[in-house]
Amino acid sequence: MPLMLVGLNHRTAPVDVRERLSIDERKMPEILQSLVEHGALYGAAIVSTCNRVEVVISAPSEDVIERIVDWMSARADAARTELEKHLYILRYGDVVKHLFRVCSGLDSMILGEPQIGGQVRKAFQLAHDGNTLDALLTQLFEQTMRVAKKVRTDTGIGEHAVSVPYASVELAKKIFGQLEGLRVLLLGAGDMGELTAEHLHGQHVKQVFVANRSYERAVELAARFEGLAVQFNSIDEHLASCDIVIASTSAPHFVIETEQVERALASRKNRNLFLIDLSVPRNINPEISSIDGAYLYNVDDLQQVADANRELRQKKAQQAEEIIEREVESFRKRLVAQDAVPTILELQGRLETIRTAELEKCLRRMGPITADQRAAVEQFSSQMINKILHYPILQLKDAAEEPQERESLRNTIRKIFGLSS
Amino acid sequence: MSPNTSLYVALVFYGLGTLVALASLFARERRLQHAGLGLMVIGFLSHTVWIGTICTLTGHPPLTNLPETVSFIAWLVFVVELVLFVIYRVHAASFFVYPLVLILLTISAVVREPFTHSQTVLSRLFTAHLLLTTTGVAALLIGLAFGLLAHLQDRALKSKTRGRLWEWIPSLNVCKDVSYRALSIGFSVYTLGLLTGVLWSYKTTAGIVAMRTKEIGAIVAWVLFAIVLQSYISGTYRTRRTMLTGAAALVAIVVAMLGIHHG
Repeated sequence: MPLMLVGLNHRTAPVDVRERLSIDERKMPEILQSLVEHGALYGAAIVSTCNRVEVVISAPSEDVIERIVDWMSARADAARTELEKHLYILRYGDVVKHLFRVCSGLDSMILGEPQIGGQVRKAFQLAHDGNTLDALLTQLFEQTMRVAKKVRTDTGIGEHAVSVPYASVELAKKIFGQLEGLRVLLLGAGDMGELTAEHLHGQHVKQVFVANRSYERAVELAARFEGLAVQFNSIDEHLASCDIVIASTSAPHFVIETEQVERALASRKNRNLFLIDLSVPRNINPEISSIDGAYLYNVDDLQQVADANRELRQKKAQQAEEIIEREVESFRKRLVAQDAVPTILELQGRLETIRTAELEKCLRRMGPITADQRAAVEQFSSQMINKILHYPILQLKDAAEEPQERESLRNTIRKIFGLSS
Repeated sequence: MSPNTSLYVALVFYGLGTLVALASLFARERRLQHAGLGLMVIGFLSHTVWIGTICTLTGHPPLTNLPETVSFIAWLVFVVELVLFVIYRVHAASFFVYPLVLILLTISAVVREPFTHSQTVLSRLFTAHLLLTTTGVAALLIGLAFGLLAHLQDRALKSKTRGRLWEWIPSLNVCKDVSYRALSIGFSVYTLGLLTGVLWSYKTTAGIVAMRTKEIGAIVAWVLFAIVLQSYISGTYRTRRTMLTGAAALVAIVVAMLGIHHG
């Protein structure tokens, strides 16, 4: 049965086209129903994210593609010829490979990003709940999620941060392990500092303190992180109690000096201190990096970490592609074998009927024989049937990917062995 | 079948496991890392069979000579490594622990000494001395391995460059905590082991401890481990001096073990 995918993504379509096709999660069940009915499909699922809209279908024939494109044009309120420029249409093994790659983050704007895995899972869940999945699509989506998990576990492709704020979080984890229970001090109200504090807040740190020259602005910012605004001149006190310090002020001089950090570390009983300087000009004296237990990273250092991680992800993507190639082949073989099962069973049944009938005739002609002789004759006939069936079954199980070719092979075998058509 | 067959099987699997794990360091392949662990676990099972065989044959723990003692330490080190792997998923320690286990077991296989079959050779006090000392040494070795990881992690974070181990090493805090716990537990157990040794020596010879290679090595190692532990308590564990003291303690332990063989 044909398996197809019609879709567009951030590489093939601009955002104004993608947004017109994008589907709200709440409307998905209704839209899927209308799609299945409109296209006379066996099953359908739609992966809709901000970067892609892809319709995955199983149908009686490839003819339905035309109807799907029409349906998408109508939804996008665009001329068919206009939309076609942005669409890609995939069939059979290409659909399987594409879905495996998408769910593993290999087709994402940010290589290896983990969110897409959850989005594909959601698409599967919505289609499953709406009863628009047939056995083939169910199997395909389940395998897609298994492969994506394997890719992420075996390669660790999504583990390394590729932006400055996330790189800060990654480094904090390298120093402290779990971030729960840690205290963060945010100095200033720079955008990058705010974003970094937001990511750290998302890691369930215990408390975020915000200090700014303008106390009102500090109060406003602290509210965003359920934190506490503190006076700028009380930094020393908080250096001793906080584990992570983010400096992001517009001050043209250092706001944290070596002596302050030395004093803080002495009172911290050698607990490490991570200092993130996102300001230009720098706000934290670079000599602090030579103090034991203090780890200082400025914006260039963090950018280098993010760049190195991007390169690392590229290398891991190659490993991921190899895993996907193997998994696609294994899935294809499984589908073909499953597809051949009814014919194989019928074939075996047919030959077994012939064998039993001919054996009975033969035994009647032979007259009285011993039990051992009877067993030998039965074994001979069974082995002969197995030998005859060996190659046809092998061919059926290892048939080509395209359903038409497989159907043609099945028909040939049915004709040769006189099976019902 | 020779009782040592399982020892040689363990050696082969430890060798293969170590090679595969080290290869994973260069290939940066997690599958290789897992395969290395799998091979080491097979080696460990065979190693356990060998220790069980010795216990059955001799009727006492395998601690009466150098090969047995070294093998038992290697076994304990791997047990601790496995437990830490389960808790922290620490891959990096394997790059130090696997070769260490392999070297210890190689010594055990190369240095041949006959099994002591006597049922009365070990008094309870002496058995306690041997068990406590070997367990203490195993924990101290793990402590040193994680101390080294903490040092490498600290250097990498300070210099802002990543070595090949960056990905495999857990957080600095985890390395430090595991190292500190292993050292403090190991040091306490090792101290108890030395004390029971002194008591046993006093009871059997009715005199002071003879200052032979193994005794001197054991005491020097105890002093050096005390210095390393102190550096953790005072927060100076990151220094080069602590690393060198740890390395010297390791050498002292090796000397003490060789002393078991040579008297």
